[in-house]
Amino acid sequence: MTSHLLWITPLVPFAVGLAMLLVRDRRVQTALDVGGSLAVLGLALAVARAVTDHGAVTALGVFRADALAVVFLLLVGLLAVAVSIATVGWMRREVARGEIRAERVRFYFALVHGFVATMVVTVLADNLGILWIAMEGTTITSALLVGFHGDKHGLEAAWKYIIVTTIGISFGLFGTVLFYGAAVHAQGGVFAGAMNWSSIAAIAHRLDPGIIRIGFIFVMVGYGTKAGLAPVHMWLPDAHSQAPTPVSALLSGALIKCALFGIIRFHAIARDACGPEFSHGLLLVFGLVSIVVATPFIIVQHDLKRLLGYHSVEHVGIIALGLGFGGRLGTYGALLHVVNHGVTKALVFLVAGDAIGRYGTRDMRLMKGFLGVAPIAGTLLLLGAFSLAGTPPFSIFVSELIVIRAGLAGGRFVAVAVFLAMVVVIFAGLIHHVGQLAFGTADGTVERGREPLSPLVALVLLAVVMVLFGVWIPVNPDRVLSAATEIVVG
Amino acid sequence: MSVALAARLIDVLGGLLLFTMLLILAAGQVFRAIYAVAAQAVFLGIAGAVLAAATGNVDLWIIAFITIVAKAIVLPWLLIRVVRRVQISREIEPVIPVHLTLTLAAGIVVLAFHLNASLGPVRQTVTGNALPVGVTLILIGVLVMASRRKALVQMVGLFASENGIFFTAMAISQGMPLIIEIGVILDVVLGALVMGILVLRVRSSVDTDIADLESLKG
Repeated sequence: MTSHLLWITPLVPFAVGLAMLLVRDRRVQTALDVGGSLAVLGLALAVARAVTDHGAVTALGVFRADALAVVFLLLVGLLAVAVSIATVGWMRREVARGEIRAERVRFYFALVHGFVATMVVTVLADNLGILWIAMEGTTITSALLVGFHGDKHGLEAAWKYIIVTTIGISFGLFGTVLFYGAAVHAQGGVFAGAMNWSSIAAIAHRLDPGIIRIGFIFVMVGYGTKAGLAPVHMWLPDAHSQAPTPVSALLSGALIKCALFGIIRFHAIARDACGPEFSHGLLLVFGLVSIVVATPFIIVQHDLKRLLGYHSVEHVGIIALGLGFGGRLGTYGALLHVVNHGVTKALVFLVAGDAIGRYGTRDMRLMKGFLGVAPIAGTLLLLGAFSLAGTPPFSIFVSELIVIRAGLAGGRFVAVAVFLAMVVVIFAGLIHHVGQLAFGTADGTVERGREPLSPLVALVLLAVVMVLFGVWIPVNPDRVLSAATEIVVG
Repeated sequence: MSVALAARLIDVLGGLLLFTMLLILAAGQVFRAIYAVAAQAVFLGIAGAVLAAATGNVDLWIIAFITIVAKAIVLPWLLIRVVRRVQISREIEPVIPVHLTLTLAAGIVVLAFHLNASLGPVRQTVTGNALPVGVTLILIGVLVMASRRKALVQMVGLFASENGIFFTAMAISQGMPLIIEIGVILDVVLGALVMGILVLRVRSSVDTDIADLESLKG
């Protein structure tokens, strides 16, 4: 029974996406959207339950859910629900203002659910080829979403996004081919499930280190492009800022984490095949470079959504850094940061979308007094921004602290020092930007209507998780994260 | 077919793949680049057939057939249709001079073969020199994409890069599982369709090439 869950989980959003194409009634579309996302979250919870009770579950020889997959699957499910709830109000405003024509709404929803389905397949894939196919599938569906408005900027961003990540991810395919070749060589011929992560990981110590090294470099560059790691991040600020806001939340919160998931799977193999130093070193360098490269752009940014885009580059860097420090502590910190950043970034993007809708601009110099305009959303924006900047008692502070402790324990003092310096600078920059946005008095043109339930329900849901994980990590998530850490550390 | 003969044929085809790659790199006109990448896909299909005959693996025959249909017929046809529809200047103006990109390409070839020579016994899994040829095609494909400001040429560079991956994948231990190859080719075709849609949408609103837009900065 439990193994059926694994193919039903991606099938549901696929089916919902197809069904959307047939629906023209707005209320049915909304119900299907929210219902479909709730179903994904429900199935994700069921998979999580099965995995915590019985250990890893496999299905059809290509799907596999273990604790590591569950971490990412739950994140995708939670964000899908939050984004669907926030989309209700957002879509009403877009259609009312003529940004999206009513008859095209069904395509938007179909693409969003297709996008969620490909992400679900990515994290549930055991076969590394399926993992790659699903990852490229996320690009195809989300590129159309990035350019959905059809304006010049959106299309430019969509083009950069699809062309850069497709060539990037093809490096990942080449790396996959090399890993597969190494596994076949080690076994002396093609064997059943030769492309499956579980079977390659089982013989990882016998793989040829030379070819795995080349393969991992290709994987790192390939999936790293998709994850938005510098210096191959150039598409990210464009795509994340030009996409419709609910899509931005999914891209920043969930998608780049799915790409990291791919890197983690290969990292677990490479660590056994050619010793931990190699992949740790590579992750460390990519992580540190991402943090350093993102910092100046965060300081000088005036566009609210671009600011958040560069912030994602920084935080993906922190996750890579945690993985690069390695050990139980570093890996646990990195995985916790995956969840914390995903939730917080989705929250801030959704609030930003509300603010942009009210002010009619994304230039932070023209946006003032958001707290007065929308007190609840404004408060949540401040909380989210403080969390992003790494202030206690919010969740990101906890995971950053764990990553730093792992770095100190591993004797990586220079890396920790650089990281801390950048975090301080980014803290100042972010608080300055958001302070400008939240305080002061708004001018008369701002839409001051009351705050509707959508997006408020979604925002509160995410904020609760954000605060909860900062104060005390509940027992069940902690168990899943610890089990996932064991899978990566081996 | 003996394994030694297959390895020789694969090396010859690898040489032809590199030659078509240089044609793409040096192409001064969009159509020439498209024809070159179509020819490259034909050589790739023949390589698949050679490996199928050498190993007796039926899947490889199917992969060779799909490769020729998808990459030598469907994709070039799609590209040509898009070029005809957009009707903008077909001359390719490289951002970096052609002789410089050709020098870089030569460097890539040397690097890839040097890398290959550093590998241990695992090289036996790969037929002939398919690994360094694959690496070379991927990297030169990226070079084409980075040095050209034309959407269609960037797409050609992308497909040429992917040809390199397919070539290595075929030569490694009888290719990837059939179902995976089909999934990958499906992704490539769908990706090309979406890119085509984006190019045409930009063309219908502003009078420029999508790859030439650069308003998003900082």
